Amino acid sequence: MRLEKCWFCSSTIYPGHGIQFVRNDAKIFRFCRSKCHKNFKMKRNPRKVKWTKAYRRLHGKDMTQDSTFEFERKRNRPQRYDRINTEKVLQAIPKISKVKATREKDHITKRLSAGRVNRRAEDRRELEQSISLVKAPSVLKEDATLTLPKQKVTVSYAQTENTPMEE
Amino acid sequence: MVKYNFKEIKVVPSGKELVDIILSRTQRQTPTVVHKGSRTKIIREFYMHKVKFTGENFKKKLSDIIDEFPRLEAINPFYSDLLHVLYNKDHFKLALAQVNKARNRISNIATDYIRLLKYGDSLYRCKCLKIAALGRMCTVIKGIGPSLAYLEHVRQHMARLPSIDPNMRTILICGCPNVGKSSFMNKITRADVEEQPYAFTTKSLFVGHTDYNCLRYQVIDTPGILDRPFEDRNIIEMCSITALAHLRSAVLFFLDVSGSCGYSIAQQAALFHSIKSLFLNKPLMIVCNKIDLQPMHALSEEDKRLVDEMKAEAQKTLSIGGDQNGEQQVLFTMSTLTNEGVSTAKNTACERILGHRVELKMKSKKINDCLNRFHVAMPKTRDAKERPVCIPPQVLEQRAKAQEGEQEKEKRKLEKDLENENGGAGVYSASLKKHYILASDEWKDDIIPEIIDGHNVADFMDHDILERVMELEREEGMRLAGVAGDESEINGDDMMPEEREALNAIRKRKKALIQEHRIKKSTAESRPVVPRKFDKDRQFTTQRMGRQLSGLGLDPSKAIERARSRSVSRIGRKRERSVAVDGFGDDSMEIDNEGKGSYKKLRLRSVSRSRSRSRASIEEVVPGKGFKDKKQKVKAIKLGKKSVKKRNKDARKGEADRVILNMMPKHLFSGKRGIGKTSRR
Repeated sequence: MRLEKCWFCSSTIYPGHGIQFVRNDAKIFRFCRSKCHKNFKMKRNPRKVKWTKAYRRLHGKDMTQDSTFEFERKRNRPQRYDRINTEKVLQAIPKISKVKATREKDHITKRLSAGRVNRRAEDRRELEQSISLVKAPSVLKEDATLTLPKQKVTVSYAQTENTPMEE
Repeated sequence: MVKYNFKEIKVVPSGKELVDIILSRTQRQTPTVVHKGSRTKIIREFYMHKVKFTGENFKKKLSDIIDEFPRLEAINPFYSDLLHVLYNKDHFKLALAQVNKARNRISNIATDYIRLLKYGDSLYRCKCLKIAALGRMCTVIKGIGPSLAYLEHVRQHMARLPSIDPNMRTILICGCPNVGKSSFMNKITRADVEEQPYAFTTKSLFVGHTDYNCLRYQVIDTPGILDRPFEDRNIIEMCSITALAHLRSAVLFFLDVSGSCGYSIAQQAALFHSIKSLFLNKPLMIVCNKIDLQPMHALSEEDKRLVDEMKAEAQKTLSIGGDQNGEQQVLFTMSTLTNEGVSTAKNTACERILGHRVELKMKSKKINDCLNRFHVAMPKTRDAKERPVCIPPQVLEQRAKAQEGEQEKEKRKLEKDLENENGGAGVYSASLKKHYILASDEWKDDIIPEIIDGHNVADFMDHDILERVMELEREEGMRLAGVAGDESEINGDDMMPEEREALNAIRKRKKALIQEHRIKKSTAESRPVVPRKFDKDRQFTTQRMGRQLSGLGLDPSKAIERARSRSVSRIGRKRERSVAVDGFGDDSMEIDNEGKGSYKKLRLRSVSRSRSRSRASIEEVVPGKGFKDKKQKVKAIKLGKKSVKKRNKDARKGEADRVILNMMPKHLFSGKRGIGKTSRR
């Protein structure tokens, strides 16, 4: 039993899910759900469809090259069962996935950090420019802090609503 | 087209049937209706189409018949002779010629009448012409009716002819009637030929197949031949003569030494000598059958002499290379009843025909092309090392044991026995892992994990994986340290909470401005510019101004005073006492104050700026401009503000789509459909 990758969106296909299409030249296409299958039948290129992993990798949204990818590689040679080795592997896999996940997260954070810096600069600029909307410039000159003045509002007691029609 | 079975010839319909078929086809497949009033061209075309269609179909059908039957010149001479013997070549050819003539006649009729139809002027005339044409064609077919019947008869018989391959290795069995040819045939092949005690049980050729040395041989059983002059022979005998004459095969001449067939050995010998010309160039064998009735040594001198004569004849046909066993290769004795000598006869016959064929091939020119392809490659010895045959030691042991003659074979315990011991098929399930070759035997029962956490375990298998993982973690630690440094840099630039608050306030203010502007814009054309005294909404009160200014942090008192002192209503009034700043406005400004004449106890409450400015409190809303009361006006103001929101024309997800409270609202999923089906409401 093997977990396969969907040809279109690159998500894992668990047993009992999805559809497999074998073309006349014996190439096998596996799809995780009918959404991917239908997109394939429409001859859409996954590299152009925004929500697929292929697009994300191609456009640098997700991490492409990393040493953690080397660990998971399909080997076509059968190997004899070795309990010691298997135990080691089972211990190693969670560690590797953790590292991989943190690295992917960091990649995305790094990608978005430029935006953060820009946004902060923008906010600061807006604050400097438009502060006059909330605090009069003369007041600002005297009192450089940005604490906004508290305003006193009159609230009267019981209101009776018997208002006759005007006019 | 014509293979060595004539089973694929199509059925020949009789004359009447043919006429029926074609006419009904014409009726079905051509247009059926034409009107008197249509143009002449249309009428003519209609009838011409019918005549042409019928003519072509007849022609096609007759052509098919002619093509399907074999041309006697074009097929193997054995078959052409056989057909001649059975059906008389001339009669056959005549019938086909008649069909051909009819075909030509029909096409002539068709062309003639089409030419006439071109000048038909009325519907009636065209119709008559068509009837005449079709009628004549049908008469022609009626005329060849007997030929068609004969051809059908011939076809049926031909389909039942045995499929003899003239080029295959063949063994022919011939002899007098009732000598035991069919019984021999039944012994060596699977053909179930009828054997009966009366003569001429076999009335035609029968084919069987037998195997020898992985090769297939055809065996042909013939009807018995009588000693008669050639011209007097009947059809049945002619069949066997034809077979003898044309097929290149080994001939087994059967002799009944007991005479129980009704013919003495002398008579049989006479027959032999009369047809021996047919045995030229064929490996000949004499088979003495029925020796259980008359053993060979008990033959009379006369008979022995005759048999020897025949044997001598047969030996002439022997190949040069095989005269060591001359005696054994030519004369056989057997009994089909007791199966004595049957297999030797068959084997020798097969070998002889094979040898004969190989010899012929070797002598022919074609072999030179093939000879260069026969080459057994022997590797040249490149050094003095001896390389004997490699036999595994186990095999040597077994051979030694077999030589010593140890009878007992050690019966290995089979898995099946194990199964039976432990409760049978349904109870015991064999351990498939028993013979696994692993580093340690304890591991045989392990359940091997294949999948973990969405990964295939097999993809990670590596003997040094733990070391690599440790290195990876070390790298990761170093990388994280670096990343932490960057993070602190970036995060250091963040804003203070007060700055955040101020920014939010700015943004809110901007939004409010935009909304106001949109409201103004949308009603710009219908909003009149009204002088202040008719302003019912009380937009321009000092209270408001005071509130707004204090929201900005300025002290409004001076501004309010100034405004009041300059107001229109004050013109001409004497100086009055200045009024208190905080919200307690002069009642004289608000003339039409609703019901609040006296001073009230006011509670002063400090509220954050956002609340104070954005919403006109319900007290301030003055019903006017057509609204019945304050509540209605408030609602109207609310609706007005909602309506200037930008529409979501991009159909992107909006606020209302974040949470769908009811996934299946009842009104969408129940009830009768106004339009459409339930599956697609």
